[in-house]
Amino acid sequence: MVSIVFAGVGGQGVITVAIMVGRAAVAEGKNALMTELHGMAQRGGRISVEVRIGDYKSAIIPTGSADALVAFEELEAVRNISKLKEGGIVLLNRRRIHPVSMTIRLQNYPEDIVEERLGRVNKVDVDADQVALNLGNKKVANTVMIGALYSTGILGINEESLVSAMKESLPEKHWAVNMQAFEEGKKLTGLSVANIA
Amino acid sequence: MVLEPLLGPEGRTEFLLGNEAVARGIYEAGVSVASTYPGTPSSEIGDVLYRTSAQMGIKFEYCTNEKVALEVAAAASAGGLRSFVFMKHVGLNVAMDSFVSLSGSGVKGGMVVLSADDPSMHSSQNEQDNRFLGKFAKVIVVEPSSPQELKDFILYAFDLSEEVGHPVLVRSVTRISHIRAPVRLGKAREKNSWGYRRNTSYVLMPENAYAAQASIADRIERAASSRFREAFDSSYGESPTLIITSGAAYNYIDEALEMLNVRARILKIGMSFPLNRERVMEEIGKAQRVVFVEEGGPFIEEQVLALCALNSIKKEFYGKMNGFVPTSYEMDVDRTAGFLSKIFGIEMDVKKDESIVPRREPVLCPGCPHRATYYVARMAMKQAGIRNPIAPTDIGCYTLGYYEPYQLGDFCLSMGSSVGSSSGFAMNSTEKVVSFIGDSTFFHAGIPALVNAYHNNHNFVLVIMDNSVTAMTGGQPTPETSPPFRRVDIESVVRGIGIKNVFVMDPYDLKNSLETFKKALRSDDLAVVISRRECALEADRKRSPADAKVFTINQDKCNQCYNCVKNFSCAAFYTEDGKVYIDGELCDGCSVCSEPLVCPFNAIEVKD
Repeated sequence: MVSIVFAGVGGQGVITVAIMVGRAAVAEGKNALMTELHGMAQRGGRISVEVRIGDYKSAIIPTGSADALVAFEELEAVRNISKLKEGGIVLLNRRRIHPVSMTIRLQNYPEDIVEERLGRVNKVDVDADQVALNLGNKKVANTVMIGALYSTGILGINEESLVSAMKESLPEKHWAVNMQAFEEGKKLTGLSVANIA
Repeated sequence: MVLEPLLGPEGRTEFLLGNEAVARGIYEAGVSVASTYPGTPSSEIGDVLYRTSAQMGIKFEYCTNEKVALEVAAAASAGGLRSFVFMKHVGLNVAMDSFVSLSGSGVKGGMVVLSADDPSMHSSQNEQDNRFLGKFAKVIVVEPSSPQELKDFILYAFDLSEEVGHPVLVRSVTRISHIRAPVRLGKAREKNSWGYRRNTSYVLMPENAYAAQASIADRIERAASSRFREAFDSSYGESPTLIITSGAAYNYIDEALEMLNVRARILKIGMSFPLNRERVMEEIGKAQRVVFVEEGGPFIEEQVLALCALNSIKKEFYGKMNGFVPTSYEMDVDRTAGFLSKIFGIEMDVKKDESIVPRREPVLCPGCPHRATYYVARMAMKQAGIRNPIAPTDIGCYTLGYYEPYQLGDFCLSMGSSVGSSSGFAMNSTEKVVSFIGDSTFFHAGIPALVNAYHNNHNFVLVIMDNSVTAMTGGQPTPETSPPFRRVDIESVVRGIGIKNVFVMDPYDLKNSLETFKKALRSDDLAVVISRRECALEADRKRSPADAKVFTINQDKCNQCYNCVKNFSCAAFYTEDGKVYIDGELCDGCSVCSEPLVCPFNAIEVKD
């Protein structure tokens, strides 16, 4: 039984990542639930997706009970932190997308809120955007995040299931770079599946 | 290979969105005709059908509005075909006129209407509970709880509908339509063949309508005692406390009870109108106290309490009607545990996170032509000395013009209401009325209101923001989309009404648009501005990555006037320590911000 919150900003591929995890779990015969919210904006609005694997009926994770928060954007990590259980892990992509309402007021990104709030939890920085850029395709940042999440061992899913779920969701010409991104992501957390499991 | 899970073989289990399960469900049910007007949270049903309906052997179409969509499906059903129409909850209001009559006419081929309600208003103007509309129209109401049940209930609903000759309303909500879960695929049934015969009940003139009333009651009674009723309802658990629940609310109860470490017997109602009265009364007879947990209004609660009153049954009742269960917003485990703890008399810690996190409002996408239109509109009004315009707006991405810095959105009730309300404002106000509507919304409900405005001599400026797509729901086609459909030209429609002051502009061309807009503002009669530019997301989908440009700020030239961030306000701009930057990941490359009307210092340049 595992509950994970994926959070970010519209356009970052948050939903795509969550679907792959859910598909992999279902392919293994597990029950998986996912809830996604579509706000008014097509791009740039906040997105949070919750995935639960195991014998659940509610796709919405109760407050303080998520095992992990996979955040694609810093402020969105903070916004969803209340879902995280005591001792839960935050995988944080170091990406800042400035809210327009702050930009209009010429305000800086609220760095202090991020550091203060995330400083109190078990956080692993994952520079997925930079890794993706190094691989020559900034769009694979979300696959880097999947690799990082897999390496924590909390998913309880086999690597093969995840990889085939990714392949089922992607055109063949993008497989190679995504597999590379997945491998790079696995190295980023400094954790290894074997140690945790 | 990217799989199309919806066409998979019988027996496979796929991880499907509730709305995808709906599309698979109508395929398995042998539906021949499906229709809709796009609306979240029902939109993905149409997205799937648009892609796969030909392979499913389903004639699917996007209609100009929900009423038309319902009528398309009703006619197919009259000819013996199974037909399906789906919409968001407020869409049923639009279809209501024909929907209510449909229960009088009855159906021949099974006909199912799906309403996707939106408790908590994630993407809507209200959270109306359409089960009440179903009962009001005397239509059978069923409510699934999960993607699997969405598919299963649709199959039962078609069988039931065809057996009793009556339409069925399936009520989904955001947290079912937008949930993903494993769904087991079944076999696709054979489709009915076309066989239309005239029938007096199809023409509800008073004489026929009088007779139809009696047959409605008869069909509802037959549904109440149908063999299918057992397929919808279920119960389990041993306890003197009976929880009667339905829909998405059901999903949270087991976990909430576990959290509180208490037990209850659960009666999960799947067909909530007409109720299976015998079963409900039997369950209540065994219980000491009864708790009603529903999402929306006290729909089942009212019916059950009426039954209890008629049968002189007195129990302890807890629900929305005596304030124990909240009447607004969607449920979840936390909320359910919260009110159940009070009913069970258990102390519960409420965890509260006190941190204040800066809001992230929904915004127009980088490159969105609506931003340019609003920027020009603001500038033109300022230059024309219009200080306090009244700006009715409408339902679409452009509703976001309500937010700063544009703040052009004063009044919005429903699809098309910008134009009708503009007549009301213009008739009474001395302020200039400038209203905004999108192309798809204009076709949906704006045209009759514009005819009204012209005919009754109202004077205002209507801006039709024509991006050639139904953008907010994910880019569905509009009556302008062609081929293979025939294109309806907005300008011709507007001119056809008789309106003389019609102006067409490309909002990306700020300079010319400004002049055009000012002309429209100066006209002393009803004027229509058609601001025509393709949705930026659609344009991106068609553009080759090689053509993508990204802009940057030349800090040497930037004078820090902040016009770009304060007035144009593209989502790709940000500031740090007073300097303006462009987020290269977000920039769409539309180049509008580099025009002198946004940056007079020519500081916004193409990045190498």
